[in-house]
Amino acid sequence: MTMRASLERMPGDELLRLARVLKIPIVKRNIKRSWLVEEVMKELEKRNERKISPIRLVTPAISLDNVTKRFGKKVAVRKLNLKVNPGEIVGLVGPNGAGKTTTLRMLTGIIRANSGNIKVDGYDIRDKPIQAKERIGYIPEKPTCYPSLTAREYIMFTARIYSVPHETALIRMREFIELFHFDEFIDTYIGILSKGNLQRALLIGIFTREPPYILALDEPIYGLDPRGAWNLKKLLRQLRDDGSAILVSTHILEVAADLCDRFVIMNEGDVVGKGTIDELKALFPEAVSLEEIFLSLTGGIPK
Amino acid sequence: MSTFKLMRNEVRMLFNQFKLAIKTPSMLLFYGLTFFGILFVSSVISSFVSFAPLLSNLASLLEDTISRGMIFAATAVLSASSVVSGYFGLGPAALLTIEDESLMMSAPVKPHQMFLSRYLRRIIRKISFLAIGILSVFPLLTSASLFFFAAVSLLSIVTIFLEINYLLGALSSYVRFRLSLRVKHRVRHLVVIGLGALALLPAHPWLVSNLVAVYIIPSNAIALFLTESTGLFAQGINPIYSMIFIFIGFAICLLLTANITGYNYFESFSASKGREETEGRFSKIIRGDIDFSQSRFNDPMIWIMIKDFWSRLRSPMQIWKYIYAIVGTVFVLYLNIVRPLWFPPVPVPTGLEFALVPAFILMVILFVQMASVTSMLSFVDERDNIYLLKVSPFHSRDIILSKYLLSLFEIVITVIPACGFLIYFIHIEGYLSLITLAAPLSIIFAATGSAVGAYVPVMTNDPQTLPVPLAFSFPIINLGLGAILVFLVAMFAESILVLIILPVYTLSLVCIFLAFSTRALNNYK
Repeated sequence: MTMRASLERMPGDELLRLARVLKIPIVKRNIKRSWLVEEVMKELEKRNERKISPIRLVTPAISLDNVTKRFGKKVAVRKLNLKVNPGEIVGLVGPNGAGKTTTLRMLTGIIRANSGNIKVDGYDIRDKPIQAKERIGYIPEKPTCYPSLTAREYIMFTARIYSVPHETALIRMREFIELFHFDEFIDTYIGILSKGNLQRALLIGIFTREPPYILALDEPIYGLDPRGAWNLKKLLRQLRDDGSAILVSTHILEVAADLCDRFVIMNEGDVVGKGTIDELKALFPEAVSLEEIFLSLTGGIPK
Repeated sequence: MSTFKLMRNEVRMLFNQFKLAIKTPSMLLFYGLTFFGILFVSSVISSFVSFAPLLSNLASLLEDTISRGMIFAATAVLSASSVVSGYFGLGPAALLTIEDESLMMSAPVKPHQMFLSRYLRRIIRKISFLAIGILSVFPLLTSASLFFFAAVSLLSIVTIFLEINYLLGALSSYVRFRLSLRVKHRVRHLVVIGLGALALLPAHPWLVSNLVAVYIIPSNAIALFLTESTGLFAQGINPIYSMIFIFIGFAICLLLTANITGYNYFESFSASKGREETEGRFSKIIRGDIDFSQSRFNDPMIWIMIKDFWSRLRSPMQIWKYIYAIVGTVFVLYLNIVRPLWFPPVPVPTGLEFALVPAFILMVILFVQMASVTSMLSFVDERDNIYLLKVSPFHSRDIILSKYLLSLFEIVITVIPACGFLIYFIHIEGYLSLITLAAPLSIIFAATGSAVGAYVPVMTNDPQTLPVPLAFSFPIINLGLGAILVFLVAMFAESILVLIILPVYTLSLVCIFLAFSTRALNNYK
């Protein structure tokens, strides 16, 4: 039903492109939109029947065992143990310089840990980097993208990198363009997008893949307006319920409290607290919010 | 993920850049200025001087001055310097960008695929610029009676040789990486001397006289190509064989570099991004701790100049620039006063003496141009802070003037030793009056640099990245203005009017360019 709704809202040129991708013969000079939607639907249903069973994530989907990262003499992350299971959103919170971004960069294979094991969907990021990276979606702390691509070109390029079938990419792109109200920017060059719109383009790029996802999101709400932020939070909750594993790094505690099932609190490279909000509250009975727990764990509540 | 998909994306990005360039009026203006500027300058030069007799005699004139081995040694030195500098460089990671780090390093893409696609981008850009360059110097080629195909093949082969050197540098950086995994002691870096010596070895007379060794070693193959295609020490060997072997050498080096590109280069790139901000240890010792709140200067212009001076001093290269300025000035004074026998000027072949004055003037212009890059970077170096500077309670003209004056100072201290060396080595009649042209050139080029630099945030919302058309048009604008200045001086050399025309020309250009800079600053997005 969602797919049909997406197709019905699809602009004419996109629908035609999809029909061409699906190799639907278009011989008449004038065709009705409703006929084309029906033909596309039929072809998609036919292809869906042939599809193999949906992907299931390994438990834990993200696993970091005794991970340490040093930059020269400075220890950025010390003996970190962290697991994220499918159907779970884990918040990685901590002050600036706590090691959150370094953790996500190790998890996504951008940098290597000095010691310890990192696995994504059961694949070791060091031994099987391509398989691990195929599973994970990453939004960096400071979003950047190739400025001379249009948002549409970037999204379709991302789909190609992750081997998403062209037709799936087109349908899902349309779905998320609408969710993030991105229609007016889809053919804009990325170099002139605002930070919020760039973040939206990156998110759409990730979601062209088919769920369930393993996501590593570094400050995902960065730059989004309240509606965009609300939509993203709603989407992440829905993805979690559908079996995705999500690790969110943030120092905005309202976002973490609102979104995450569990928390890992880091300070100067060490894990100083972990658990659900109730478990953390039990450690600090006098604390009334995640903010107070966080402050107590990272240097005390200022007088 | 196939490498071709990545390559296709690179081509798409380049095509989009091209589309953007021809659709954006300011970019089109700067590209047009660059192309037609070079075309104009080369037409003017070729109308004044006929290069055909000069070039036809060049080979025989040079054969009296240099030996065949020197050409082979020069190309070997080029390769050796690439190997040595490459050893300390980033290797294949130098091609990566911050966007690659954000998007591609976490994607299921193999490092060699990223390298090859990025390298394709580098090659396409070089080919495009080479093609534009050759078209714009077409009048010069015609004047020199050079065959278009010969000029194109010469430039192409030299470019491929330089690319081979770049790839050798990348392979050299891989040696450093592998070595650092096994040996932790700093003595390991002595291996760079061995690598450099290895790259110099092909210049050994035995290898130069062995035709097989000449073909298979790129630095010798290019030397053979140069000698055979120019007629200089030509032995009657068809240069096409050298071309083929250079292409084969390039392919081998490219595939070898792709083969060694691993995930460790992702880490090297990330680490280099962190290091960019750090201060040189030596500059820190010299600079000490600076606290601007203690400044006794309240004038905004002086404050901005002092801020820029001390901030630039944080960059490791800046301190060496000042050391060069002081040591170089003292040394050229010594050379020109004492004229030591142990350091004689280079003898110029008698047949080339007629070209000395134009060469002298051209070198003055080029020296000032190279030194004036600092004025263009005075805005780019501010990065995003340029917006802070703009919203600060300073007048735009104060900001522009302070940038201009500090740049002028930096240009002057760099130009003085260079001009000193020039008048020592090319001691022509009337050198003293000609060298004084460096002063108006410095004054003008500092202003054009400020104007071009100030336009960066108008053309892009990334003020730290200099757009290609701006970077290219800067030397062309300067070359054009320098040529007009020389033309005016030549026209009015016999008249007292030169004393009026020269300052009027200089000052009016400075005022115009500074007005452009102020206008640009007021138009930031």
